[in-house]
Parts: sequence; C-alpha cells; structure tokens
Amino acid sequence: MGALAAVEYLSNYMDKKLINEFEILLGKDRVLSETEELLCYSYDATSKDFMPDAVVFPLNAEEISKIVKLCLKYNNTPIVGRGSGSGFSGGSLPLKGGVVVSFTKMNRILELDEENMFVTVEPGIINADLKSYLSEKGYFYPPDPASYEFSTIGGNVAECSGGPSAVKYGVTKDYVAALEVITGEGEIIDTGSKTVKNVSGYNLTQLFTGSEGTLGLFSKITLKILSKPEANSLILVSFDDINSGFNAAISLLKLRNRPSMLEFMDKSSIESVKGYFKSDIIKIEGNFLFIVEADGSQEEVDKFIREYEKILKEFSPIFLFASGKDEDKKVIMDARKAISPSLRKYGDLKINNDIAVPINKIPEMLSFLEETSRKYDIPIINFGHFGDGNIHVNIMLDKNNGGMVQKGERAKYDILKKTVELGGSLSGEHGIGLEKKEFMKLKYGDYYMNVLKNIKKAFDPQNIINPGKIF
Amino acid sequence: MKDKDKYAEEHNSTYLNCVHCGKCLPVCPSYSIGLNEFFSPRGRVRLILTDNADELPLRASKVAESMSACLLCVRCVKICPNDVKIDELVIDEKIKLNESADRAFSIEKIALKALKNKRKVLLKSALKIANIPVIEKLAGRYAPHPEGKSFIADRDLIFNADTAVTQSPSGNHPALRASLLERRGVIGESIDTSLENPRSLLLKKEEVIRQSADESGRNVFKAGYFSGCVFNGIYPQISTCTVTSLTENGIEVFVPKMQGCCGLPFISSGDVKSFRELALNNARAFKDKNLDYIVTSCASCSYSINKLYTLYFNENDENYPEILNFSKKLMNIWSFFKELEKSGIEIKKGKLKKETEAVFHIPCHLSNMPEFRPSSANENLIGEAGFIADKIIGLKLKPLKYNYCCGNGGMFNIRHYDLSKEITKRKFEEIKEASPQEILTSCSGCIFSLKDQKGILEKNETMPVNHLISLYAGSLQGKVRYDCITSDLSNDSKAGIVI
Repeated sequence: MGALAAVEYLSNYMDKKLINEFEILLGKDRVLSETEELLCYSYDATSKDFMPDAVVFPLNAEEISKIVKLCLKYNNTPIVGRGSGSGFSGGSLPLKGGVVVSFTKMNRILELDEENMFVTVEPGIINADLKSYLSEKGYFYPPDPASYEFSTIGGNVAECSGGPSAVKYGVTKDYVAALEVITGEGEIIDTGSKTVKNVSGYNLTQLFTGSEGTLGLFSKITLKILSKPEANSLILVSFDDINSGFNAAISLLKLRNRPSMLEFMDKSSIESVKGYFKSDIIKIEGNFLFIVEADGSQEEVDKFIREYEKILKEFSPIFLFASGKDEDKKVIMDARKAISPSLRKYGDLKINNDIAVPINKIPEMLSFLEETSRKYDIPIINFGHFGDGNIHVNIMLDKNNGGMVQKGERAKYDILKKTVELGGSLSGEHGIGLEKKEFMKLKYGDYYMNVLKNIKKAFDPQNIINPGKIF
Repeated sequence: MKDKDKYAEEHNSTYLNCVHCGKCLPVCPSYSIGLNEFFSPRGRVRLILTDNADELPLRASKVAESMSACLLCVRCVKICPNDVKIDELVIDEKIKLNESADRAFSIEKIALKALKNKRKVLLKSALKIANIPVIEKLAGRYAPHPEGKSFIADRDLIFNADTAVTQSPSGNHPALRASLLERRGVIGESIDTSLENPRSLLLKKEEVIRQSADESGRNVFKAGYFSGCVFNGIYPQISTCTVTSLTENGIEVFVPKMQGCCGLPFISSGDVKSFRELALNNARAFKDKNLDYIVTSCASCSYSINKLYTLYFNENDENYPEILNFSKKLMNIWSFFKELEKSGIEIKKGKLKKETEAVFHIPCHLSNMPEFRPSSANENLIGEAGFIADKIIGLKLKPLKYNYCCGNGGMFNIRHYDLSKEITKRKFEEIKEASPQEILTSCSGCIFSLKDQKGILEKNETMPVNHLISLYAGSLQGKVRYDCITSDLSNDSKAGIVI
C-alpha cells in the first residue's frame, strides 16, 4: 500500500519547528504528529492512502488563518481540510503530505435565523445532526448524500454533494447562501449573503461550493432552509420492458408536483439484490425498477400518490406497491440500501463512478454499460438517481486478478468517454479529486484547464491548499 | 491463540473488507468524545491492518492506547456495511499485544485478579472481597458497595415454579429458604437439590424437552440461571428478582454453585487463557442438568457467552462441544420471555403500586434477535425488553432520543475513567431531556455507570437506576417492589466500576 512509501518520502519533509508552532498555537492536545495517529488520517473512502505529517484541530477562523500562515512560513507546507473523510474522490487525502486540518471539533450550530429561514453552522457538523436539529424546529435541509449520517456539511459543501432528494430539491449548491473562507494566503473572507437575490461581483459562494477543498478552508457556512414536509409515502414499481419503465419515470418528472425521490435500479442491480434481499411485502424483479417518493402535507401526499399510481399503471408495470406506513417504507428503503452490500459477491474491488447524463440519455447509457460489461467480461452493476441522470456505475473486480483490474480500468475509460459524448458530467456528486483527474481532458481543453488553474492561483498563489487535486 | 485456519477463514481478516467509508464514526462512543480518529473503529481497523501487514513499524504501546479505549460496545459492528468484525479484531489485537507486552502494574490487573481468585473460592462473595476497596483507594473514587450477601450459595439451588418462593422470606420452599438463610449467614438448612430432586433436574431427556408435567399436572419449564459477578456479589437482589420473575411464571430455576465470572473482563484485556478457563468452568457448571434454557439478566454476560465463547475455542478442542452447547442455551432474560410466549405460555401481568414514568437504557450488548419484529409500542421503543414492559401496568416508558452508550464498557471504565464519565455525561443529556422518574436498564455495567451521577446531576439530586426485571418482579407481587438497587444512591452516588 501507499502508506509506507509516503512515510519514507515524507519523514524529513516537515520541519519539527512547525509542529512546535502548532502546539504553541493550539495546545498539544489539538495537534497529532505520531505515526500511529497519522495513520488514522491517511485514508478516505477511496482505496488510496497518503500519510500526513501532522493533524491539527482548529476551533475558529482565526486559528485556521494562523495555521495557513504558519504553513506558508515553513516551506509552503501543504494543507488539506478534512471532515469525516468519507469522500469517494480523494478530496481529503494529503497527496503531498503536510497538514490535515480536521474540522471535527468545529461542529456547532451558530445561528438559526427563523425569520429569514437560514441556518449558520461550522463546517464539522454532521449532515444528519443538522437535519435532526432542524427537524425538531419544523425545518428541513434537503441535500441527502448517501453518507449523510456521517459526512460533514463542510465536506458536503466542498464536494457539492447531492442525493435522492435532488430530483425535487436540488443539491448542496442550491442551499449555500454565504461562506466564511480562509484563503491560501491566510486571509479571512466572507462571501454571499442571506438574500435570495445577490448580484455584486462574481458569485464566489458558488465557486467555492464544489471546489473540492482546493480554493480555501471554510469556517462558517450559511444554508438556506425550508419548512419540513409533514408526510411522505413511497411507491416501488418495476417493469419488464426497459423503455416502458423509462417512459413511466419521464412522465412523473413532467408533473407539476414531481416526486421528491426517483431512485432506479437497472437489470444488473435488480439481479444483485434479488438473491440478497428477502421480503414478504415487496418483490424485486423485472428489468427496470424504481422507487418514487411523494412528500408534502398528508393531503397532498395522498393526492400525489394516487396521481403517480394512475400514470405508472398506464405503462403496465409487473409489480407496484405503495405505502405510507413507516414499517413498509423501511422495507422499501432497505431494498435500495441492500445494493451496496449485495455487490460484494461480484468481487472485492469496486471501481465506483458517479457519472451523470442528460435524463433522456439514460437508456442509451444503460445499454452501453451492458455492452461494456459483456465486452470486458466483468460485472458492471448500475443504479442511481433517475431525476438527475446520475448513475452509480460499479465495476466489480477481483483485487488479486491483475488482468481483470486492467480490464476494469479500460472499461472505466470507455464509460467516461461515452458519458462526455452524451453531453454528461464525469462526476455527479463525488467530485474529481484524485480519482478522475486524468479524465478531465476528455471533457476540457487546455484553455479551459488553464482558466481553472488561474482561478486557483488567485486564492492560493503558493498552491498549498489541497494540492494535486482536480488538475 | 486461536486456531490459525479458523482465524483466517472466519473473521480475523475482516479488516481487509474495510473500505474506510466512515459510517462507524458517529456511533462510536470513544470517537464521539475527542472526535479524533485515532480512537475510532475505522482508525483501529487501519492500525490492525498495518500491524498485521507489517506495513509500517508501529509501537505496541501506542497501538494499545487506541485499542484500550474501545468499549467493545459493538455499535460499529452492527452498522458496518461490509461486515468488518471490529470487536473481534480489537480483541485479537489485544491478545497479541498482551502476549508480547510486559504487563505493568495496573488497577486493571488487580481487578482481574480479584475476579479470578474469587472464582476459586466458589464465587461466594464476588467482587467485594478484594478489588472494590483497592480500586477505590487507587483511583481515588468510590465504587459501589455490595448490597447484602452474595446470591449464589455454596451449594446448587433449585427454585420451584410458582411456590411460596416470592411471598416472604419465611416461606416454606426449602431451597429458597435455604438460600435466604444462607444469605443471612445461617448455614445448615440448605439442601443440595441438584442430585436429590428427581422431579426437576435429573429427568430423562425426553421428559424435559421444552415442557414437562409436574406432580400437579402443570407444565413446567426448567431454566438455569447465570447471575454474573455483579448481580451475584454487588446487587444480589437483581438475581432474586430475576428468579422470582421466572418462578412466578411457572419456571423452575436451577442455580449451580460452580458458576463464575463470564470472562468478558479478561478477554477484553487480552487474557484469553483466563477467559477460556472461566468459560469452561461455566459450561461445566450447567452441564448434564437437562436444562431447557439458561437465562441471564446481564446483557454483557450474554454478549460474552453467546457471541465470544465459541470464537476462542478451536472446533477440534475436546471442550468445544460443551462450550458450544452452553453458549447456545444461554439467553438474555427478555428473549427468554418472548420465547416462552411463543411456546404458548402466558406471561403474567403485574401492577405497580404507583404509576411510574421511566426510560429504558438499551445496553449496547442487548442486541435483539435479527428476526425480532416489534409488536407493541414498548417493543418498538426498546426491543424485546418491551415485551416485559408491556406486562407492567402503571409503567410508562418514555423514549430516549439517541440511545447513546452509557460509557461503561467494562474494563474501559477502569482504564479510562475520565473518558467514560464524559460518555456518561452525554448519556444523561438525553435522559434529562426525557425527564423520567427513574432509569431502567438490564446490564451490570450500565447500572454502574448510570449510578455514577456525581458531577452530572445537581448536587443532592439523584435519579434512581433499576433493572427492569426488578420492577417486574415487584409488580407481580402487587406490593412495594424490590428496591433492588436504588437504596445505595443516597450514600453512594459516586459509584463507579467493578468489572
């Protein structure tokens, strides 16, 4: 693995004096520098690892600013922000060693502005903790990445995370209203405002959102919030004919009251879950299956579900089950959640791509994926968020089979190339980071890449903030 | 060490399945306090992987620091999408460290020694003999004081079903009377029933499978009772209450004198040798008694016996069948009552003298059967224990928002008292929010930590902590319930640790 090499490379990299300065600034208990401790900050949810030279736990913007300035003073030491380290693209990995800034101790809710409907938080708060805090007060923060129970808002903003609710509610960027950011020069800047309308210079808030931690470190995040929907109900529906299923889903999206979730499973993932998940009330079958959610007031939900059912039935589904009961909803969601663990039987190495294509290209993409799977003779399991064309493509490999791993990499290349051809995006929600860096040229030319680099330079002239990511 | 093949095949290489997703972080009590991944399940798995792969030279003392702060609460194991057996990995790493390390003098060592020696004197007076005063002295804090004499006698005991058992200490039942007398220090009237009572224990096998008829034609279940150290030596009334609840429901209860510590404190300290000795001793104590079930009312004992016993014996070991048999028969008290119900036995309802609003702290080691489906509001709230809560008229359960860990973690509480207390503090935040009249639970470790309320509640304020089974036993009698464990709060609110 990479850790050992990284350690040898970096053993004399960081000036011991810098660690001393951190300890003076933050106190010894907020600085980690022993190998065993650093090892626990060398990974994220990718299968790559890189050892940092130190981990620091700041508590406020001033401390972060001083940390950045110290890093500039000592040999332009790299700085990488980290929340829960749950990313799929390597955004929080210290590729070039240096300091990991852990935001976990900055996890407070600073202000709930009920009149303007905004909440201001520190970046280390867990998405689910914010959701449950707001829910008690009758409010709602929709973005729900699969990792919402453990990923931080800071990480969500850095990667512009999204989840099933995107079909109705959008993704993180649709909620970030203002940021406090520490730049690569250690300056503290405020972007955005608590107003829906704001045209005053470039929209830096949106630029920072999804910047994968390469432009600066967040210390305060102001998010737009909504009123909590009173109720929700689910429908699980499946089709033998892929086109019928596809057209049924498209019809739901055209409605004035579109579903608040539209998750789909293609033939490959239906097969995978079928043998793994057992239930008395629902059947996992067919070639195209999706889960639809309606939310709103109880009255609205009942009305929407009737409307959805009526439409779906026109496309001759082979199975349809609707319920608003908690226990039924749990079973339905459990079937969806069973996909990931059910994949294990196909291999111990997963290349996980979260491509996004225009919705009308989903069937074309799915049949291309099926072909690719056949062409390379490797299992490719797909599921995703229909409403935004976001497909999770899981190429399943045997770690110890070198030939197979190579084939997998080739398949990944083909798939990303096709994605770009179809006018799609290399990453819907995970980000580029390390994992897809080399594929950027599939989509963007030199001029475009230079513009990106120059933007980074404007905030981080010494290239110390999360170097080596995106480009 | 465990059998090598079994080691590789079954679980000990599950660290390879870890994909570092981070899902285990928020559920880990030791991570939740410092928010430092060195003390997290994912961090521990990474350390273990690196140590096993010899990737990097790691210092044993530093690795031990991370492992020792694991409470073995198993929350991470439950939530892991990739079936990484983090508890087993941590235990194995501790065994490895334990074998290589020159173990220094520690409070932990004293406590373990006391537990083990005590077994040798037939578990007569449990922990109070040696370790409590020592820990108290060394750690500069109070420990809970034993309430009354130990439950387990120096002879096997039988409690007949539905007899005078629960009515008064002067009831006629010889075995009960013997035990009561014994506990008062009167010796000589006890009867060793294990060999002499043909009706109960030495029936032919076919007669005792599940149900058999006693003399009056009633159906009788037979269960062994495994008390665990704490409910024997410190809170013997909880054992009395457990046995009462069983006999009142027509269960005949057998309590062998030879049982001892379940071994969890040892294995969680990496001492696999003592763990095996204790496991074997316990299995043998209940062997050949033709028992339908063996019941415990301590969640941690059931984790140790159900989950860990078979893992640390080689399948080819001559003792393996005994261990397996014992491990399979043992059940936590709540599952047992559910099992009875499934067998068509109606569990009695009881009534509290005074209506009580309470919370039930679900012990981390009280994991419900996978196929368990809640069928009442109380079951929905607290799992199988809710079945007994349903039977207590006048008990109103209030929900706890997060069901946080109590912070005890057995030896963890001894090794890292300050951390443990921080976790307990967090637990009390959700308890205070529910503002119950009392706290119920069903694990010895949890009771210790929940009773350690100094510095958490206001001065002079205490909140009673009770075992749910005590409340049930009391409700069955329709009189003031057994105040099994509340009485020491007034003079012993600093209670801490023991196992």
